[in-house]
Amino acid sequence: MATFHLKSPLSQQDVEQLNIGDVVYISGDAFTCRSRLHRWVLDENHPLPEAGRARDVLIHVGPIVLHQPDGSWKLVSFMPTSSIRFEKWGARAVDEWGLRLIVGKTTMGEETMAMMQKKKCVHVSPHSVSPNAWVDHIRITGVELLKELGSIEATWHMTVDELGPFVVDIDCRGNNLYKNHEEEVDENRRKVLEELGIGPDFSYTKLY
Amino acid sequence: MISREIYEEAIFRAICRGSAVIAPDVCRAFEKAIEKEGRPAAREGLEKTYESIKLSAERRNPACPDTGWPIFYFKVGNECELEGGFMALEEAVRNAVRRATREGFLRATMKHPLTGYDPGDNIGNNIPDFTYQFVPGKDIEITYVAKGGGSECFGGTRHRVVAFADGIRGIEKFVIDSFVEATRSGGICPPNILGIGIGGTANIAANLAKEAACLRTVGSHNPDELFRRIEEDLYTSLNKLGVGVMGVGGDTSVFAVNVEYAYTHIAGICVAISSNCMVARRGSVHVGADGSVRDMESPNWFEGR
Repeated sequence: MATFHLKSPLSQQDVEQLNIGDVVYISGDAFTCRSRLHRWVLDENHPLPEAGRARDVLIHVGPIVLHQPDGSWKLVSFMPTSSIRFEKWGARAVDEWGLRLIVGKTTMGEETMAMMQKKKCVHVSPHSVSPNAWVDHIRITGVELLKELGSIEATWHMTVDELGPFVVDIDCRGNNLYKNHEEEVDENRRKVLEELGIGPDFSYTKLY
Repeated sequence: MISREIYEEAIFRAICRGSAVIAPDVCRAFEKAIEKEGRPAAREGLEKTYESIKLSAERRNPACPDTGWPIFYFKVGNECELEGGFMALEEAVRNAVRRATREGFLRATMKHPLTGYDPGDNIGNNIPDFTYQFVPGKDIEITYVAKGGGSECFGGTRHRVVAFADGIRGIEKFVIDSFVEATRSGGICPPNILGIGIGGTANIAANLAKEAACLRTVGSHNPDELFRRIEEDLYTSLNKLGVGVMGVGGDTSVFAVNVEYAYTHIAGICVAISSNCMVARRGSVHVGADGSVRDMESPNWFEGR
């Protein structure tokens, strides 16, 4: 398990060196996206916002941002959101948007992982819920589609400085950190059920 | 009579504290988990989260941007008199939610379920949600709960009807299997406070589970020995799974398991679970008939049951 300090735009080499379980800190430009932007672009055929075309780090997040009286934006709170809910669009986003790194919570599914392997892209997740470790490392420099998609689902332009720590959960060789961990949890589950007198032969009375 | 101005301000106070200040019982659960954690990654995750929680209380910013569904519980004295009555109370909640959203204590998270329309203020059909309980007296206690989407949407909140033939084993298997599925890749933000409702119709069980997850303090127990034993058995079992903070593997997977029950039909036992994320957010306030306002560390929901 190594620690990496990455700077966007990222090269293929930057992401190929990462293995699941590695810790990364990110600097440079990123953009944000949730369900509505995926739908807006990939289902409704609107063009990808400019930040998405120019940047290769995507953050799955719905931040709290306040519009200040001087016209600037203040980031109040930030926590990556679950990526798995965007799986339906994941492969196309990686392919068509030219992504190198996705910051999200949880993970992505098989289809997106296959595309990430093909296009050389990784997914990282936080192992904490620590908005205050992050807000000081993020500057908001602009926003697109605020009116169309609302403040949570709009495309925020973020310039980040040593944003992290995040853990690599999908590398670009088809490995998934959580999938490996699931086997350990499943084995532990078998044991604790046994301890409670619920053996492998237990089955529910079928009510429906 | 409690004036509208006083109770509306008290509700706003409960929302802001609920979003930014994590309750002492949850803080103690973090300290205990950090102390016993044997895996470095999990220890770091817990420590970073706890540091951020402490900073939120100082900075008065949301402990997590997902401030979720705005849910309100009222423990109302039978002789409590509110200016404008209970419809005014609900209107005051809507005003306070709007203001808390405008000021950045809440994220504008609530949207239309089909069109995706975002009103921008967390107010819409049947939202916020209100639950009332009536007790002797003239005061009112108000609890705001921020019910996050992670712990609600990824399998940590669901129900099943178990046959009497399957009994406690059926109940415990359902809870453990559900928890394992819901914590895969950290979807419900473990370590969780797991609420379990046993008995009643599906909605009765689900409401009890939600209240057990969000209104019981960590370290409290069901006073009934039978249910306390289920709490202890499941707490021990779930913490042996190795799920850990955000599902990365670790020694603490739940902070608490809280069970509440209702009598049920001879036909079957409905079991519901409801997960609260580790950054468990609630804010409670006591408003006296004399207009006094006092913060409460515990929602005091099940006391006097």
